[in-house]
Amino acid sequence: MTTPFLKIEGIRKEYGPVVAVQDVNLEVERGEFLTFLGPSGSGKSTTLYILAGFDNPTRGDIKLNGKTLLATPSQKRNIGMVFQRYTLFPHLSVGDNIAFPLKVRRLPKHQIDAKVKEMLRLVRLEGFEDRKPAQMSGGQQQRVALARALAYDPPVLLMDEPLSALDKKLREEIQHEIRRIHQQTEVTILYVTHDQEEALRLSDRIAVFSKGVIDQIGTGPELYANPATRFVAQFIGDSDFLPCQMLHSANGRATVSVGGAVFSDVPLHETGKSEGAALMLRPERLSLTREPLQQRLAATVSDITFLGNNVHVATSTLSGDPLSVRLPFGHPAISGLSRGDSVWLGFEAASAHVFN
Amino acid sequence: MLLNFERLGWLKYVLLGITLLTALFLLLPIIFIAALSFGSSQWLIFPPPGWTLKWYSDLLADPRWLSSAWTSFRIAAIVTVLSVLLGLVTSFGLVRGRFLFRKTLRALFLTPMILPVVVLAVALYAFFLKIGLNGTMTGFVISHLVLALPFSILSISNALERFDKSIEDAAVLCGASPLEAKIRVTLPAISHGIFSAAIFSFLTSWDEVVVAIFMSSPTLQTLPVKVWATLRQDLTPVVAAASTLLILLTVILMALFALVRKGLKS
Ligand SMILES: Nc1ncnc2c1ncn2[C@@H]1O[C@H](COP(=O)(O)OP(=O)(O)OP(=O)(O)O)[C@@H](O)[C@H]1O
Ligand SMILES: [Mg+2]
Repeated sequence: MTTPFLKIEGIRKEYGPVVAVQDVNLEVERGEFLTFLGPSGSGKSTTLYILAGFDNPTRGDIKLNGKTLLATPSQKRNIGMVFQRYTLFPHLSVGDNIAFPLKVRRLPKHQIDAKVKEMLRLVRLEGFEDRKPAQMSGGQQQRVALARALAYDPPVLLMDEPLSALDKKLREEIQHEIRRIHQQTEVTILYVTHDQEEALRLSDRIAVFSKGVIDQIGTGPELYANPATRFVAQFIGDSDFLPCQMLHSANGRATVSVGGAVFSDVPLHETGKSEGAALMLRPERLSLTREPLQQRLAATVSDITFLGNNVHVATSTLSGDPLSVRLPFGHPAISGLSRGDSVWLGFEAASAHVFN
Repeated sequence: MLLNFERLGWLKYVLLGITLLTALFLLLPIIFIAALSFGSSQWLIFPPPGWTLKWYSDLLADPRWLSSAWTSFRIAAIVTVLSVLLGLVTSFGLVRGRFLFRKTLRALFLTPMILPVVVLAVALYAFFLKIGLNGTMTGFVISHLVLALPFSILSISNALERFDKSIEDAAVLCGASPLEAKIRVTLPAISHGIFSAAIFSFLTSWDEVVVAIFMSSPTLQTLPVKVWATLRQDLTPVVAAASTLLILLTVILMALFALVRKGLKS
């Protein structure tokens, strides 16, 4: 068995009575781009800060190449980090900001100059070395911060919502840059965001955080196709949940009854929570007909929204639960459809999930 | 804007008049003193019958004046250094520390600003009498430090509060020790606050007279005390010359302050 590159073992962090991180376990491969995705307050930043050494965990360990990091102070960990807020040193020029970690390491001047040049080229800011941070846009500042964090070839780069202060267009542009820089440098990146689109776009794998634990780790498609918990199903992609009745279950498959219709062979996830069984359906995986058919859910249209190439049909089932359908624009089933119409919704068993 | 100066009509002139009168009210004593210092009359007659530089040459020729100016300067310089250093350490504790009664402690540090100076002077005098510090350089420095430190703490901790700690954290992750990060990143970033602290500390000590009267001895006198003492003995225009020089230095310092601060902020 090989030792994993970076291993987080049972990290827990308490601030007085507040449990910021409950129990986080994670293995990261060298060169991987792993994203922490989760809602506000789920413990993503705290986990990152523990990795950076700004905080010690109440319990647990972090190992880099099999050796614990906890005994090493921040400044000796050699870890790179880009923060949510702009953290360029305000009195230093862009070039001196990037040179800072190298000067601290007392590298010879010609080596520093060469590295600063290389980094400026990497983030495509050649010619900006004499600017002061205050003379740069937010996006440029974060790129300089990235260059500064990569200048000393850290084994791991931490990024805590580095783009959250930027507008959408700029964000997508820099996501692109980050992706390219990751491929170019092959640095291992741990990235924090609460934007699922950003996570899906950037990462090799995503760790979904919820209330201080990781609910599930996997690639985007894995999380979408096979969510382990209701929370993950809600967080990755859109989904609706219908309360259902379990009729039968075996080998991870369930037969359930919803609103008079029976569906068998639906993938089943036992969550161990007593919330009652629920059937999860994704709007883009539902089909819609105007005539009653066997094995379908009857519903009433409550709203129709045009979303460019898609049309979003909001319906309400007979029991009053909301259920959304997304169909391509111009789909025959929705021509002339209007609010209050009765529709019948169907789906393939494999595309749905039962959480019990 | 509710009050648009351009749209005030005739009120505009009333406002202008009041402003001019206020400025005059504030400036007249200074102009008066400066004029007297160049006046030829022994008896501080205003307006001066003629003009002379005699009082300045008298002043500069008198070793007692020079020595008290030197004393003032030394005390102010030492107070400035100590006040900035202590202010820095205290501010880091007050801003970054997480302990009980932090706010209370902060308020406590600022009390010398609101306490009547004469009360402070009497207290320090009585205390120093016990430990034999009256009339010594150390006594002067300590008592002026008490007055200067609140200004120092106030301006440095304000600057530190506005400084994002993440920037210092970034420096530490870059490989700087926590102390190195503070010296190379945090201090330059809050330099405008440190500079204000230095200027205000210097001026607090430089033109302080109440506490200094209690602290001084015949051999150790600051310039303001010398002015005051001379004035009580005989009314010579040399006092006016000394005062004018005092004012001039203050004005130069304030101008320097405004200039450098503008530079540091941008
Ligand atoms: N220094 C602290 N003292 C007390 N509680 C803290 C501290 N830092 C974090 N917490 C709490 O720990 C929990 C997790 O915080 P954390 O910052 O890790 O969340 P996050 O997932 O990064 O959220 P966000 O998306 O808002 O940044 C929150 O409830 C927060 O209030
Ligand atoms: Mg956070």
